[in-house]
Amino acid sequence: MQPSVAPAPPAPSAAAPPVVEVVDLHRRYGDFAAVRGVSFDVRPGEVFALLGVNGAGKTSALEVLEGLAPASGGTVRVLGADPRRERAAVRPHLGVLLQTSGLPGDLTVAETVRTWAGTLTTPRPVDEALAQVDLTGRADVRVRSLSGGERRRLDLALALLGRPRVLVLDEPTTGLDPESRRTVWGLVRGLVDDGAAVVLTTHHLEEAEELADRIAVMRAGRIVLAGTREEIAETQPATIRFTLAPGDPQPPVPSGVEVVSAGPRIEWHTRALQPALAQLLAWAAAYGVVLRGLQARAASLEQAFLAVADADAE
Amino acid sequence: MTTIAVPVAPSRLRRVGSLAAAETRLLLRNRTAVVNSVLMPLLLVALVSGMGLDDRATGPGLLTMAAGFTLVFLTYYNLVTTYVARREDLVLQRMRTGELSDGEVLAATAVPTLLVTVGQLLLVAVGVTVLGLWTAPVDAVLPVLAVLLGAALMVVLATASTVFTRTPESAQITTLPVVLGATALSGLFFPLSALPEALATVARLLPLTPVVELVQLGLAGRTWDGEVVAGAELWGAALVPLGVTLAWTALAAAATVRWFRWAPRR
Repeated sequence: MQPSVAPAPPAPSAAAPPVVEVVDLHRRYGDFAAVRGVSFDVRPGEVFALLGVNGAGKTSALEVLEGLAPASGGTVRVLGADPRRERAAVRPHLGVLLQTSGLPGDLTVAETVRTWAGTLTTPRPVDEALAQVDLTGRADVRVRSLSGGERRRLDLALALLGRPRVLVLDEPTTGLDPESRRTVWGLVRGLVDDGAAVVLTTHHLEEAEELADRIAVMRAGRIVLAGTREEIAETQPATIRFTLAPGDPQPPVPSGVEVVSAGPRIEWHTRALQPALAQLLAWAAAYGVVLRGLQARAASLEQAFLAVADADAE
Repeated sequence: MTTIAVPVAPSRLRRVGSLAAAETRLLLRNRTAVVNSVLMPLLLVALVSGMGLDDRATGPGLLTMAAGFTLVFLTYYNLVTTYVARREDLVLQRMRTGELSDGEVLAATAVPTLLVTVGQLLLVAVGVTVLGLWTAPVDAVLPVLAVLLGAALMVVLATASTVFTRTPESAQITTLPVVLGATALSGLFFPLSALPEALATVARLLPLTPVVELVQLGLAGRTWDGEVVAGAELWGAALVPLGVTLAWTALAAAATVRWFRWAPRR
């Protein structure tokens, strides 16, 4: 785990106690178990991403964290308190961005932010909030007339308005253009540098790779894989690819290598990339063989995700 | 364990006021709603006084009718459609992610409708005075108390009614039990003393009847069965309708706490 260390106080550190603690969380709708025993914690200055296909239970888990729904089992603590029963204590420090949410269409952007600020304990100035999400120029436009991306950024401005110590973002950049997406990533990073803890869901792998210190992949209500992006990628074998010319000798297969394709375009999978590659290169040098199109690559997060996220449940 | 710092929170009034002000601004931007709010009570005064109906064309009669009709057709009906529309637009769920409590969100949303309710009743009072029909109420406190309790009852009846109202349009059907049923037997259209005793008793247990009874009792000093009372006797006669009003309020509030949905059914 590698939390980003900010010069500004309070400096986040791995030793800080977690501000979000989820233990064996269950959530049921009637007979359907949407969340079946999820546990994780998040420390100040850390971004935790829940990854999964639609219906994996990400939003159902977040709703408990947000204090909007009761857990069917397990415990959830935010800043040491129950987010539902002790909502009044938690909310001044919690920023929430729902996956979908509405705002009255006939208020302007500035009126919307001012109204929300009036309900908060320690709101940012309205101008600062609008500048954060690049909506300064749209302050006097009615919400009804905003584009989808602009509305999403307004949503985010409201979530950040109370200077939250814990931020819960349900698919923060879905529907945003690439530029807005980068703006949002920058904002989240800035908050984390200042010591906020962030829990986000996404089905964009790029977003998880870009932002998250730790990632958990959910499938059918359970976390099936968790760790840093490197740890998760390491659950899948690395790949070596090269092409031999006709008449070249066959290289010896290093131990721990699975031959996926034997040639002339050769593909090997291995969990010991470095020694396998060293052996291959030594062999090529000794025999004067040219390994055309040589590629050696650790598994990507995407490979790991695809291997587990979509596999049949049960 | 992390401890939560407790900064000075804004007062409850300021927090609710912020949202209520936005809701009021939304109402004022809806020109149709504004025009309707002013025209409705003026039409009522003009119509009822123009019809020259028996004793209902008196000042207290007009004001009693105005209170009953406004509470049901404006306060109750408007609030059902407003809450359902806000829920289906995902606005309620969003408001719920902030620092406001559930009750504060619902109360703030009701403020513009309640302001219009008060404004309409004041307009009718002015109209009654202009027509020269104004008479001093027998008891000044009771009519005001009746309207306040009646308004509170309409708010919780509205939140409870959202439970079985899926869209703002379907409110036209789901509000019928109160809008038609309770209003027809409220004593607004005919005196309850005209009913067989058993039916009159049932009518007096409906939600709007006690509010109408209380307004009439305070303004004209007349009980539901036409008896004229004053002083301690008047407040004695008010006990039953006060109790029924509070019971309905408690019932509707409990139903709201138990079943109110903040997000559309998925």
